[in-house]
Amino acid sequence: MAEKTSKSAGRRELEELIQTCVSIHNREFSPFLLDISEALRILRRHSKDWKTFSDNLLDMRAITSLARVVGLQSANLRFQSSSLYVDPGMVKQKIHSMSREQLAEYLLLSWHPVVELEQLTEASTKEALDYWQKMLSFFERRKRLQAGPFNEPSAMETAELSRLRIHEEKAFNQRLEDLRLEMKSKSGNDGVDYWKFVKAGSFAQTVLRAQMVSFLVSYGMAILERTEEKMTLIPRDPPFARGQGSPLSLPIPITQEAVAPRAK
Amino acid sequence: MLFFKRGRIPGARSWELKTGLGKEYLKVLAQLDEELKDLDLEVKKVEAQNLSDYKPSLDGEEEMRYFVRLKGTLTPKEARMTGWRIDNLAALAACMSLIVSKQGKSERKELEQIIGEKVGRWRALTLTDAFLRSGYLEEDEEGLMKIGWRTRAELDLESLMMLIAESKPKGTIVDEPSEVSEKADEVESPAETVEAELED
Repeated sequence: MAEKTSKSAGRRELEELIQTCVSIHNREFSPFLLDISEALRILRRHSKDWKTFSDNLLDMRAITSLARVVGLQSANLRFQSSSLYVDPGMVKQKIHSMSREQLAEYLLLSWHPVVELEQLTEASTKEALDYWQKMLSFFERRKRLQAGPFNEPSAMETAELSRLRIHEEKAFNQRLEDLRLEMKSKSGNDGVDYWKFVKAGSFAQTVLRAQMVSFLVSYGMAILERTEEKMTLIPRDPPFARGQGSPLSLPIPITQEAVAPRAK
Repeated sequence: MLFFKRGRIPGARSWELKTGLGKEYLKVLAQLDEELKDLDLEVKKVEAQNLSDYKPSLDGEEEMRYFVRLKGTLTPKEARMTGWRIDNLAALAACMSLIVSKQGKSERKELEQIIGEKVGRWRALTLTDAFLRSGYLEEDEEGLMKIGWRTRAELDLESLMMLIAESKPKGTIVDEPSEVSEKADEVESPAETVEAELED
């Protein structure tokens, strides 16, 4: 019984050791955080207990992981003695304290873009011509796909295009303005509840209205006030300026389940 | 061979140059390097084992890839003309300095966090993807981010690390030219923050 407990404790220790080594390998910790001699002592202490194939495999994995950490320690020392060495913590701190302009400037001082030209050559043109000449006609290729009878091209009315959502009936700006006016008419002194306003007959329509509202807020045509309990939309009057738009991104998840109870 | 992009990665491998130019290709490259000086360009040699397309050569000769790159550096104005925004440049600098300080490998989450501090979380995600696509970063089999072929070809990491290490905190640089800041202000306008992608 005692032997069984000792074995399972040993396995646990080895698994923890492997896990630590994996974390070090994934650059989560410094390789010097692991005491190699202590790790070897653990391996030695349990080595005589291992009888089964899986236990020996675990032991082998632990030794391999440990060897990789020693390799990383060696690489780390070599790197620290090189001119490229800067402590990662210090780099993070520096980046944090530097402005984007400063960082960009430093990159530009160290950046030598590669020249890449793309041009047709005689050989590639010849290859393309061959490909084109050998290519079967559109109708021949279509036959192979067994796509059924071919419909001749025909004219389509604007109304039909609008129905297929290829063509917009109203210009985008006009739709935004209409929505703003609708918001204005629905809102009282304190604005209108977000979910009440975006809720429409169908889920697709609700999503579409929410998208249009996001443009109103981004363009400064409306203000979205968010508290813990609710979100309120307040329409603005012209003139609108880009700077008036919300500088923040406010992700609002819209699911069918979420829309239904909220809009009641 | 060096100027025109023929595959995914520009430049040419040493065996390609050997086949095209003969055994003395290194002398030809040295001569080309001399000629390119007038155009502020240079031939850059990168060890192929540092590149993702590394294949050991049969004759045991060290495999190299050669690029033609800008010898000098770009001014902020010139960088902007090439389509790079201040945000992208700052994010790349932050990204590279962190990876280098961590011996060439870092977790994606950590990178996104440090870029996110400067440009916002959503931009950090798109920029990390863009850096991966353009070859500044590579992802290894364990999902760790490492320095990509383009970084080795284009960036003087030693100089970047030196500049970062010697930098002073925000606000203490008094004599810096205001040009970069002005550009940054332009970049910050909400209408322009729609597209953050780098050109592949």
